[in-house]
Amino acid sequence: KMAIRELKVCLLGDTGVGKSSIVCRFVQDHFDHNISPTIGASFLTKTMPCGNELHKFLIWDTAGQERFHSLAPMYYRGSAAAVIVYDITKLDSFHTLKKWVKELKEHGPEDIVVAIAGNKNDLGDIREVPMKEAKEFAESIAAIFIETSARNAVNVEELFQKISKQIPPLENPEGDSNESFKLTRQPAPSTRRCC
Amino acid sequence: PPGTQESPAETNQSPGETNHSPPEPHESLAETHESEPKLCGFLLKQGGPLKAWKLRWFTYEDKKNQLFYYRTPQDVMPLGRIELCSATFTYPLKAEKGTFHIKTPERTFVLKAVTQELMLYWLQQLQVKRWQHRQMTTCPDSPSNNNSSSTAGENTTAESHHFLPLLKSPLGLVERKTQAEGIMVTLCRVQELVWILHKALEASQLEKRTCAEFLAETGEQERLELLRHRERQAADLRGQLEEVKAEAEVLRKGLAQREAQLSELQDDIRMLTEKNKAKQEVRTAGGQVASRILWFLTASHPQDDIEAYKTQNKFLNSEIYQLTGLWRTSSEQEKSLMMKCAFLEASNCQVESQYLSVLRQLQETKSLDPDQREAVQKMVEDALKRELKSVVKLRMARDHDEYGFKIIPDYEVEDMKLLAKIQALEIRSHNLLHQESIECPLLDRWAQYLAGRSDDDLCASPELKGLLRVGVPQEYRQRVWSWMVRARTRTIREHHPQCYQQLCEKSRTSAHPASRQIELDLHRTLTTNQHFCSPSSPALQQLRRILLAFSWRNPAIGYCQGLNRLAAIALLILQSEEDAFWCLVAVVEAIMPQDYYTKSLVASQADQRVLKDFLAEKLPRLAAHFDSHSIDVSLVTFNWFLVVFVESLPSDILLPLWDAFLYEGTKVIFRYALALFKYKEDDILKIHDSVEIYQYLRFFTKTISDGRRLIAIAFGDMNPFPRRLLRNRRALHLDRLQGELRELEEQQKEFVTERAERKDKELDTVASEDDEEL
Ligand SMILES: Nc1nc2c(ncn2[C@@H]2O[C@H](COP(=O)(O)OP(=O)(O)O)[C@@H](O)[C@H]2O)c(=O)[nH]1
Ligand SMILES: [Mg+2]
Repeated sequence: KMAIRELKVCLLGDTGVGKSSIVCRFVQDHFDHNISPTIGASFLTKTMPCGNELHKFLIWDTAGQERFHSLAPMYYRGSAAAVIVYDITKLDSFHTLKKWVKELKEHGPEDIVVAIAGNKNDLGDIREVPMKEAKEFAESIAAIFIETSARNAVNVEELFQKISKQIPPLENPEGDSNESFKLTRQPAPSTRRCC
Repeated sequence: PPGTQESPAETNQSPGETNHSPPEPHESLAETHESEPKLCGFLLKQGGPLKAWKLRWFTYEDKKNQLFYYRTPQDVMPLGRIELCSATFTYPLKAEKGTFHIKTPERTFVLKAVTQELMLYWLQQLQVKRWQHRQMTTCPDSPSNNNSSSTAGENTTAESHHFLPLLKSPLGLVERKTQAEGIMVTLCRVQELVWILHKALEASQLEKRTCAEFLAETGEQERLELLRHRERQAADLRGQLEEVKAEAEVLRKGLAQREAQLSELQDDIRMLTEKNKAKQEVRTAGGQVASRILWFLTASHPQDDIEAYKTQNKFLNSEIYQLTGLWRTSSEQEKSLMMKCAFLEASNCQVESQYLSVLRQLQETKSLDPDQREAVQKMVEDALKRELKSVVKLRMARDHDEYGFKIIPDYEVEDMKLLAKIQALEIRSHNLLHQESIECPLLDRWAQYLAGRSDDDLCASPELKGLLRVGVPQEYRQRVWSWMVRARTRTIREHHPQCYQQLCEKSRTSAHPASRQIELDLHRTLTTNQHFCSPSSPALQQLRRILLAFSWRNPAIGYCQGLNRLAAIALLILQSEEDAFWCLVAVVEAIMPQDYYTKSLVASQADQRVLKDFLAEKLPRLAAHFDSHSIDVSLVTFNWFLVVFVESLPSDILLPLWDAFLYEGTKVIFRYALALFKYKEDDILKIHDSVEIYQYLRFFTKTISDGRRLIAIAFGDMNPFPRRLLRNRRALHLDRLQGELRELEEQQKEFVTERAERKDKELDTVASEDDEEL
């Protein structure tokens, strides 16, 4: 019997980069051109096998508009991983990504797995962010890097597989294997409350 | 002939028939064991490619409401039948007298009775039969219904009398044709008899002559003897002859009588054809009605034609009347069937939802063995595969409401599909059962309130508040909303009557920094609503102008994600771009607290803390449950407040909420938020896994089936809800939040300077990259 681990993941990034589309592609394998903009946040789950475990992703998708950033701590608090998405055709979105990396470093959970996703790679001809630059940046902060296309279902599954692999396996596999183990953390008292 | 001057409608018998009583021998044929005479008789039926008239024997069959026709009355196998239940009857005046049509959906039967009266008798009887049959089949089971409809049926027949009196005992008419045939047969028989007698007479005369010859030859005694014998014989024969003669005389008399009758009949026929010819002349005389009327006035028998038209008119009126009656009973029947069907569908939905609930519980039962578990899983999968729509489609199966919203929302829940389906079934069954009983009284109350009030008369009152809490009927919503919006924006609009137009002009000439975000969100607004789902829909253009105008009007906010939904709802209800703009202004600037949508949404965040306080107070058990599973409800409820539940609640609950919200303000949002938790408190308390709780919270608002109950909780169970308490708590939390915000800002400043330093390095790396590529 495989143990189920619940992994809280949050998606961060500028508005319109395709966060919700990535989640939608991953969870429902479906792409909607007019996906409703996320307000506040939305929540989806998907279970994926990883080694001899089942990873149940609890994906919090956040709103992108800057004024919603102050809500983000509610979402990345207790997260096992954060996916920071930028749009390869929007240089601005890459700058926002850097801001998120910094914020996670300062206020996020200590051993949070960070993944950087350069989305809309189907629009290569109007690319503004070179892949090399993004990749080097990711390496510099020891983050996962992948270019995705929610539209063409490119690398979306892989993104989450990479995250799965980075999650340290259960230390005590024979412990209580019947009960699902939760990797979500209670908010550390030191982390600042919302804002 | 003078007979035709009489209106056929006023006499039961043909003019030529008045002095004859109905022939006795045929009575038995025309009468059945029942009191009502059986409808049968000879009619000519037009048929075949040559449209020839053929004489057929017609009988009406009660059980199936059919008219059968046979070659002769003695035949067992009918040649065909006419279904009467959906047939209509009419007769043309142009055609030969006695012609009438029975139109069934499949074909038209052209029939002809010997006379016009007989035809009318047939038509009326057929109408009566059609009606009676309908009454019998409509409600054979319920006696109460039966009574009412049979009285209705009587009324109809009574009313039909009003159009055309029912012809009675016209059996003579039915038999007239047979009688004529009978006369011909007896005539033949009489002639035959006369011929036989003639032969007999000849033979006896011959015998007499031979006897006389014989007499001359033999002896006196024998001769005498013979003579006497012959004499006797002769006398006998003479007697016989007398008898035969008398009989022949009687027959001849009968024959004369019959012949007279026949000629009378022929006269009748001639008269009829003459009249017919005359009428055809009328038709051909001229196409124009005026000339025809002129002809009527000068023609030899204008009265006849007018009477004929009157009769036809009366008949057709009675036909229309009866058909209307039939249609009415049909539609009443349909309505009651629809209601029955709705009820059945509702109970079906309930049964299915209960079944699914049982499955859900079974799924969670730990004690099942693997086989059972597998069986349950299979049943669950089957149940989920079954489409909700597979239920008999009813009421033209409305998928969208008046505002273009889906009536049953989509649930995109992965792990809780079963629960989502249970909820959808419950909503459906609730809608089916309660729609009408709720809407009607509410409509009356509003009609009463608004009657005689002009829009400016609407003034704040406890009565209006109460009415708004239960919701405005769709008919009045636009009017009431536009009044509330005007009341909230009156001063601005009076100062700048052209405000909206100027703002639109401004957004045309210069681009607002928010326009990029507006464009991004525009096509993603209320995508499940019919009016917004198409990228080319005019509503989207209107929405763009409203949002751009607003971003110029309120620079502190510009555009905040979510405002698109507020404006879209306003546009859908108010149906006017400018009114919708003002509605947005009213919501954002007059109703919502300050800083609800500005930079860091502080006031929105403060409200989330206020909500948590209220939750702990009003629903302590639930608040403790959330705490113990470290559920942060604001992750879910933040949206509710920011966009006033748009896209979180089904439209039939959302719009009454907005009705009260536009009047009373943000307190309504709190009341509803708490009521939603209360409504599903027991369900939430049953879930003990934090992920599952979040999942449930994510979609449960769309599963509320009983809007009335929710309203009752919001405005009843949640009392007291003092305005002052809300205000104080808001102030408290806002103050705390702003303190935290200031701290964050300081940190951000640090970050900006740090980033500025880093930017130099970035430039370096870009430059070196270029170098490498070179
Ligand atoms: N061409 C392309 N468009 C995408 C892709 N992913 C998302 N989009 C579009 O980008 C827009 C914003 O997507 P959304 O998922 O709402 O972004 P979010 O605001 O980050 O959640 C939508 O119109 C999507 O159709 C992608 O991989 N390729
Ligand atoms: Mg989104």
